[in-house]
Amino acid sequence: MITRAIPLFLLVVTLGALPVAAQPGVSDTEIVIGGSNSFSGPLAYTGEQITRFGVDLYFRVVNDAGGIHGRKVRTVYYDDGYRPQDAVANTRKLIEQDRIFAVIIPQGSQPVLATLKYLEENKVPLLFPYQSSPETRAQRYVFQGMTLSDRSSKMMIDYLAGPRKIKKFAALYQDDEYGKSFLTAFEKDLARFGLKLVASESVKRGVTDVSAQVAKLQAAKPEVTFLVLVPGPAAQALKERQKIGWTDTLMVSTGPLTDERYLALAGDAAEGVEGLSLWPDPATSDLAGVKLYREHMLKYFPKNEPNRYSIAGYFAGTLFAEGARRAGRNLTRESLVVALESVRGFESGILPPLTIGPDHETQKQGFWVRVEKGRFKPLTDWLKSE
Amino acid sequence: MRRAALATGAVVVLGWPWAAPRYFVFLASLIVINAIVAIGLNLLSGYTNQLSFGHAGFLAIGAYAAAILTIRAPALPVPAALLAAGLVTAAVGFALGVPCLRLEGLYLAMATLAFGFVVVEAILNLDWLTRGNDGLHVPVGHLGPWALATDTARYYLVVAVAALLIVAARNISRTRTGRALLALRESEVAAQASGVHLAAYKTLAFVVSAFYTGVAGGLFALVVGFLSPDSFDVFLSVDFVAMIIVGGLGSIFGSVAGAAVITTLNDSLAGFQNYRPLIFGAILVASMLFMPGGIASALRKIPLPALARTPGAVRPHEPSRIPRQGDDA
Repeated sequence: MITRAIPLFLLVVTLGALPVAAQPGVSDTEIVIGGSNSFSGPLAYTGEQITRFGVDLYFRVVNDAGGIHGRKVRTVYYDDGYRPQDAVANTRKLIEQDRIFAVIIPQGSQPVLATLKYLEENKVPLLFPYQSSPETRAQRYVFQGMTLSDRSSKMMIDYLAGPRKIKKFAALYQDDEYGKSFLTAFEKDLARFGLKLVASESVKRGVTDVSAQVAKLQAAKPEVTFLVLVPGPAAQALKERQKIGWTDTLMVSTGPLTDERYLALAGDAAEGVEGLSLWPDPATSDLAGVKLYREHMLKYFPKNEPNRYSIAGYFAGTLFAEGARRAGRNLTRESLVVALESVRGFESGILPPLTIGPDHETQKQGFWVRVEKGRFKPLTDWLKSE
Repeated sequence: MRRAALATGAVVVLGWPWAAPRYFVFLASLIVINAIVAIGLNLLSGYTNQLSFGHAGFLAIGAYAAAILTIRAPALPVPAALLAAGLVTAAVGFALGVPCLRLEGLYLAMATLAFGFVVVEAILNLDWLTRGNDGLHVPVGHLGPWALATDTARYYLVVAVAALLIVAARNISRTRTGRALLALRESEVAAQASGVHLAAYKTLAFVVSAFYTGVAGGLFALVVGFLSPDSFDVFLSVDFVAMIIVGGLGSIFGSVAGAAVITTLNDSLAGFQNYRPLIFGAILVASMLFMPGGIASALRKIPLPALARTPGAVRPHEPSRIPRQGDDA
């Protein structure tokens, strides 16, 4: 038995040692990209929309039109349920076993940050992560997606403490990097106006009961209360406020939270809430790119309503395709990074013309909205964060 | 025959990192780590009939203990960190074991279930030590002059520790202690009548089980490299129970086989976690209905006449097996 096992074993060793394809995830006919995302847990809806109805929607369109330099794009995703440790294992599987070319739009500050070091060490591009912590800055292989928290905070505080002349701010935040990165930024920006947060209360990740925190915040009598949460507990906070009849504060949602899903969960308790929106209204905007997005959605997924998450994924797909086209037929991880850095004045028809500089940030703006009759009504033009 | 099988097994285990792609080396490390937990849980459940749904909690304690030690004392050699992880977890196991002794069956299962939740909450709230929800990056461990920086190095560490613990588990089951535990499983009354101290031995089983799981936790921290409390949930504890049920209660080989099956299955279901509990539930029910002794006893049932007649397959060293409930006599 052992004499038979040894040659077999040597054969396996030899096969394993054979050289593998030069560039992982890129063949003559195909580009494979993917990511770990939430398909269960508190961000399951978001995860499903940004990937299968966002990124994949755009690549259905691209593939049906012949692909990128003759290569079709295929995507692979695994579920981490918003748990950082699972995101690490999934990402390793994607890179080492599925041999994806790049990671696209993984979701959540903690899950993304947990994989950051590994991806950078292995020189795998991390494209447009759906998270806002500035910890992902200044990495060669990372291109930011969502507007980072310090930029969001600057726009929010400049607008509220400036033209709106508000003095008393409080925050209800998620007790992890997502929440804390906003809290730090708020405190820094308020200090420029000689102000401080009058109260701040934290919510553990995965917890939905926020009644104790809301009661404490009410006691501090803030004019504005920032919500730095995920949709479930944020909607709960709005309902709780309605229940206890706390009317003399303005609830303001941060960029990652300003979306229709959160509205639908809160029902009429969301009326009058304001926030920083990072995307034009996907259901009503007349912008050429947004109209095209709606046409594509109607064609490929007629049962899925347009929403801010899927348009974010769709936009990520657009940017990847632009980078891969610029990199040319000889697509490598290095050539993709160089190509994306060379994007100047790119017209997506969704966001303002985009120039990606050495800071690798693809979104630096947002605009102010207020909920009126269940939809966001824009109150300002694009606000700047530079 | 037995020697040849063992030798082949050893060659495959030791040669694995050179043959398999990198991800499968990582996966194999996870399988071996889970096997250590399963062996530990089996010492508790297989021998003393106490079922624990809190082993994810023990794993978390071991993992965080090893990670925090490695962060605070980077010069500490890995074996010391692992031993410390095991001892800390064993101490917690002792503290939990003493009150739990008064409970039996369903009530014990509920107490351990609650313990699992308490550990996760404790990690969340001790954020000055554990970084709470932010999670903990585990630095590379050191063994003398070597840094365990590659998957292969970590794999060999895991295999070496597992080999030690397996030998220890086999020895425990053959000593006075092991016989006392077996006697307890067969009949508590009879065991007590023959002079086995019920409380002492049950606590001992709990402590040893916690020690095994703590060491596995330390290895887990080093291999995965990132810890966050939400991953040590009740489903993980259920996975461990599934491993020993599918593998076979009271069998070391069964623990390893069960760990391999469940870990591989978990990995291939990474795309659909929503269906995971459903699939696992089905497997548990099916294996209890059709394979009550687990993989270990199912394999024993397969007749191997061809192999038995192989020349040279003398079996003078076959150890005499103590017949047990799970065995098919």
